[in-house]
Amino acid sequence: MTFVGILQILVFFGIIVGLTKPVGTYMYRVFEGERTFMHRVLGPLERLIYRISGIHPDEEQSWLRYSGSLISISIFSFLFVYLIQRLQGYLPLNPLHFSTPHAPSFATAMTPDLAFNTAISFLTNTNWQSYSPDTTMSYLTQMTALAVQNFVSAAVGIAVAVALIRGFARHTVKTIGNFWADVTRCILYILLPICVLSTLFFVWQGSIQNFNGPVTAHTLEGARQVIEQGPLASQLSIKMLGTNGGGFFNANSAHPYENPTPLSNVLQMVLIFLLGASLTYMFGKAVKNTKQGWAVFTAMSVLFFVGVFVCYWAEQRGNPIIEHMGVASSYTGTQPGGNMEGKEVRFGIVQSTLFATVTTDASCGAVNSMHDSYTPLGGLVPLFNMQTDEVIFGGVGAGLYGMLLYAIIAVFIGGLMVGRTPEYVGKKIEQKEVKMAIIAILATSLCILLFTALSSVSQFKSGGYWNPPGPTTANTNNNGPHGFSEILYAYSSGAANNGSAFAGLNANTPWYNLTLAIDMFVGRFLFIIPALAIAGSLAKKKMVPVTSGTLPTDGTLFVILLIGTVVLIGALTYFPALSLGPIVEHFQMLSGKVF
Amino acid sequence: MRKELLPGLRLMLVLTIVLGLGYPAVMTLLSQAIFPKQANGSLVVVDGKVVGSSLIGQSFTEPQYFHPRPSSAGSGYDATQSGGSNLGPTSAKLLYGAVTTDSAGKKTVSFDGIEDRIVHYCVENNIPYTSSVPLSQFENAKGKLDDVKLIEAFNDRKKPLIFTPKIQIPADAVTGSASGLDPDISPANAYLQAGRVAKVRHIRLDQVRTLIAQATTKPSLGFIGEPRVNVLLLNLALNKKYPFRK
Repeated sequence: MTFVGILQILVFFGIIVGLTKPVGTYMYRVFEGERTFMHRVLGPLERLIYRISGIHPDEEQSWLRYSGSLISISIFSFLFVYLIQRLQGYLPLNPLHFSTPHAPSFATAMTPDLAFNTAISFLTNTNWQSYSPDTTMSYLTQMTALAVQNFVSAAVGIAVAVALIRGFARHTVKTIGNFWADVTRCILYILLPICVLSTLFFVWQGSIQNFNGPVTAHTLEGARQVIEQGPLASQLSIKMLGTNGGGFFNANSAHPYENPTPLSNVLQMVLIFLLGASLTYMFGKAVKNTKQGWAVFTAMSVLFFVGVFVCYWAEQRGNPIIEHMGVASSYTGTQPGGNMEGKEVRFGIVQSTLFATVTTDASCGAVNSMHDSYTPLGGLVPLFNMQTDEVIFGGVGAGLYGMLLYAIIAVFIGGLMVGRTPEYVGKKIEQKEVKMAIIAILATSLCILLFTALSSVSQFKSGGYWNPPGPTTANTNNNGPHGFSEILYAYSSGAANNGSAFAGLNANTPWYNLTLAIDMFVGRFLFIIPALAIAGSLAKKKMVPVTSGTLPTDGTLFVILLIGTVVLIGALTYFPALSLGPIVEHFQMLSGKVF
Repeated sequence: MRKELLPGLRLMLVLTIVLGLGYPAVMTLLSQAIFPKQANGSLVVVDGKVVGSSLIGQSFTEPQYFHPRPSSAGSGYDATQSGGSNLGPTSAKLLYGAVTTDSAGKKTVSFDGIEDRIVHYCVENNIPYTSSVPLSQFENAKGKLDDVKLIEAFNDRKKPLIFTPKIQIPADAVTGSASGLDPDISPANAYLQAGRVAKVRHIRLDQVRTLIAQATTKPSLGFIGEPRVNVLLLNLALNKKYPFRK
């Protein structure tokens, strides 16, 4: 690790700290329905959308109706994405003629199970990609099916966090806001303006934004190189800001068009964390004690720094087997050293590992390096980040409501220790809240471990429908423990709605498409519905005054308790599985064992 | 619930039009107006012909050119199949390569592996090395290195071929990038190739080194990202200044 490397990490984090308060304040005002400077431009559009959709923005909803609206938009999200994909061969803006008889030889078929998996993947904000976009998706599918979901699923996640915040902030009422208004305002006043600005920045740096067909270049050595084009930058912005992560190209944010320079890389990481970090401030502001928000922010920051430094250290140290072959492992100023397999020269080790940590702290899942080729401990960091439900700033909305569920469990454990009814920001935490929080956390763990176990032992007929390669372990690209890590990573990524991958796993078979879809669905909705139930239950409660017996939740003690809860639950649940994957592989790598 | 369905359908329709068509269309218009070169792919045109994109790496194997990193995009720098090798740190295939045998019994290289790349890098660039078995034993009838034989020798777990360069090889020179389209190499990698390029082009080493220095991009704002050399732009500069005649 070098001074310049650490400086890059600190400067990135400084930007996040600096933006948290202003953006958080702005978000608070938007969701309170106040007029902001953006209303002058977008106010008419907001009212038009309400009129066309038959939405009454001031109509308050109970948590059940709020959930009903959320399920409604999810149903139509699913149908839209599924149908557009299946029909793309008949629709315009398909310059490579995918899903038609004129498709190029490298094209992948849009099968029903693939379209189903992708629809679930995008509506759950996961953006797991069983497909390779370069060879599967038309421009129209990318724009109207996938990128629209990038906006909608992000707004849905934020709406849930806002509803939960209202649950804490309100008292003795039955309602938690209007879902339709929250989603519309989030898209118009928060997501869209930031996307417009960042799209222009990305294009300035070199990202493409056009409707041209692929360009054929004649290289200096006389070969032909077909370079795909498309409306990339507009999708890139929302892919990062909405912590979606689904790449326009297969190589995602490692593709030079999708991440041309170190500066574009920094902006992408800032966009990933921006709304998740700002929501902590908005939370503090809503409960009228910004220190509560900063306490959550601090817990997240500590976990972030531990992750990024472990990952950076492990990757810079590199692979001793390769070092033994005579390859430089140290940074020298003229070459990056370390484990450069699956990393780009312009990012080197620092910008790659920082990105890998950020994208899995949040539920983004975009990658600028191939996590599958990371050293065992370097790859353990993103894996563990996802398994702890991505509460380190987290997916937009999902990070905050995930962390607040952990906070509920933390005060519950704290309450058990001193024998008092736990309280959190002025609300008594009782049986119902704790039950709901535990359902949410257990459901995702169950999915991850159960499906990983199934896919480690299932046998299918080779060449059959469910899994043409045969046994489900035959889909891995690596042998030994690393192959197991690929499977574990896939289901962790799905349930956590991350979408990054140990991409060697060939997941485009009916078995993986279906089980991963269930995994993503459970990870999303069995987290959201309990969170909304908690919101409804909290909103009904009275505020309890702070007494000398209250555990202060805006101080250091609580921050430590919260971090401990996250790490302990994660470690207790996943240690056995991690031992079989990255941990054993680490020791095998050190002893020079290969597979 | 039925009361909730209709707004869901209508809102999705409106949003699909506004966000799915309107937003990318407006962004395309703006981008094309303000940054037309970048928005259309940073294409490099020489004598009226598109020779590539300054952002997308392309394959170079001839000795008069600087060579890019190994690539796993398709059969190498295939810009319709971006991606990395996705091989992990304990993969024998990544480290020592792999050979497949077709139905006729003919052996071909399915993945070259880091060891084989190191051998080629050293031989091409005249880097001193030690080898447990002389490399001449791995030559084919034409006197060229036979990769199948080399990879089999590296994979021989009982008595593997031990090949060690006497200087450290830059990591980027023998590892594949994430996109398979990395346009850059590290400066250290470029300087190690300078001798070969100078010799083949019959020019002085310092002339090549000057071009490398001019083609080196520094980290953004002095500290963000890595110093790097764009291979296509460097090779174009070479061709322009010191045209190559066979």
